[in-house]
Amino acid sequence: MAAEGRWLHPVAGADEVTVPVQGPDEEALLLAVARGDQAAFAALYDRIGALVHGIVRRVVRDPAQSEEVTQEVMVEVWRTAVRFDPDRGSARTWILTMAHRRAIDRVRSEQASRNRTQRVAGQQHARDFDEVSEHVEVAFEHEQVRTALDTLTDLQRQAVELAYYQGYTYREVAELLDTPLGTVKTRMRDGLIRLRDALGVA
Amino acid sequence: MVERPDLHTLTGAYAVDALPDGERELFEAHLAVCAACEQEVQELQATAARLGAISASRPPAGLRARVLAEIDGVRQERPEAAAHTVLDELAARRSLPRLVTGGLGIAAALLLVAVGGLAALVLSLQGQVADLEVVASAADQTSSELRTVTERLAQLEQQTTDTPVPTSSALTDVLAAPDAVTVSVTHDDVLGRVVASPTRGEAVFIAEGWEPAPHQHTYVLWLINPDGAAPAGLFDPDEDGRATRVMTGDVAGATAVGITIEPEGGSPVPSDEPMMVLQLS
Repeated sequence: MAAEGRWLHPVAGADEVTVPVQGPDEEALLLAVARGDQAAFAALYDRIGALVHGIVRRVVRDPAQSEEVTQEVMVEVWRTAVRFDPDRGSARTWILTMAHRRAIDRVRSEQASRNRTQRVAGQQHARDFDEVSEHVEVAFEHEQVRTALDTLTDLQRQAVELAYYQGYTYREVAELLDTPLGTVKTRMRDGLIRLRDALGVA
Repeated sequence: MVERPDLHTLTGAYAVDALPDGERELFEAHLAVCAACEQEVQELQATAARLGAISASRPPAGLRARVLAEIDGVRQERPEAAAHTVLDELAARRSLPRLVTGGLGIAAALLLVAVGGLAALVLSLQGQVADLEVVASAADQTSSELRTVTERLAQLEQQTTDTPVPTSSALTDVLAAPDAVTVSVTHDDVLGRVVASPTRGEAVFIAEGWEPAPHQHTYVLWLINPDGAAPAGLFDPDEDGRATRVMTGDVAGATAVGITIEPEGGSPVPSDEPMMVLQLS
């Protein structure tokens, strides 16, 4: 647990929280969870619950729904932990990927019930995407991520951020950015590849 | 296997969860047979997780206790479940039906009785639905299913690259098929239409005038035959109430198409009688 002494501090908002730097102990905890170890699950919750809640809040926004989704994600971590394969990525990636997807699913199902009236009324995309940059500024982790995002072209960055942080599909992103679908898909991919390289993600 | 090179460009959109429902499941089927994409997706998901890790927010007080209390009663998947087929994984994750074709044990789970043109579904659950598993001996069949799905994705991809309007090549192929049949049902201006080509084994469902599914629910298409009903895909009407869905599964063997409302993510078996039935034969 070499990383234990290092903590990252958010600058954002009232929900002050500390999150430990990612470390191999998370894999160990998740593997223990897969064997039914509830104490390991509690430890994992303490370690990563704020990150799960953070990404869910960012995408879902509504506090009550975010709480529900966070709970769903953590219960799913428990239920499906046996699927985690450390050879395929870190525990943190596995959990945050699940959290993001659950959050997206929630946003989409909300949109499905709201869209009709809103879109017809021309209020489509009420979420101004200036917010995106602001949210990234607010975020605390690492100058590294900020710096890496700065290496992207505007279109790459907007495509990635609109999708990841705002939950838009690539089709919606294409519409928002008035860019062809194929271009948006390509920019999402080459933008992420550039980020991957800038962040040194294996 | 038919594969278009630009299928691989979807890794990025997939990693940030930007593929619309339907395309997501189809791409996952492609991932199962494309090691290069699988590897790239792993890396890009790890990258996306870094984007996700830039914010943290203390969960509400009491959530920890609720989660810990809840897991106490939640049965974990067993290790063997993790080794199951990719289709299984897909079904568990979201929506692609666990039982893509009939003949994978679905008859054991439910029985369909068609009476006088109206189909009534009689569920004969044998044990927990959640315990339904694809048997290992179905692996070859599964593999060929994946190829079929991948080809469908290539078709879908082809059309979405050029235009957002869902006039898929699969749709035009089906329409052009000599044996294509079109069946329509309208209730109160809610239209369901199936264009099916039994020889091609393909069918497309077209919806018009549909309300959005209830919160956290989705519409599910079922291919019905005398042995049962197999899920054939989900659809979500757009803001104009329209949807077009290339159906998956054993179209040639189906005698009807049914539509139910299911919890988000779909279900392995219909949870209720269909709200609409389109008789194919």
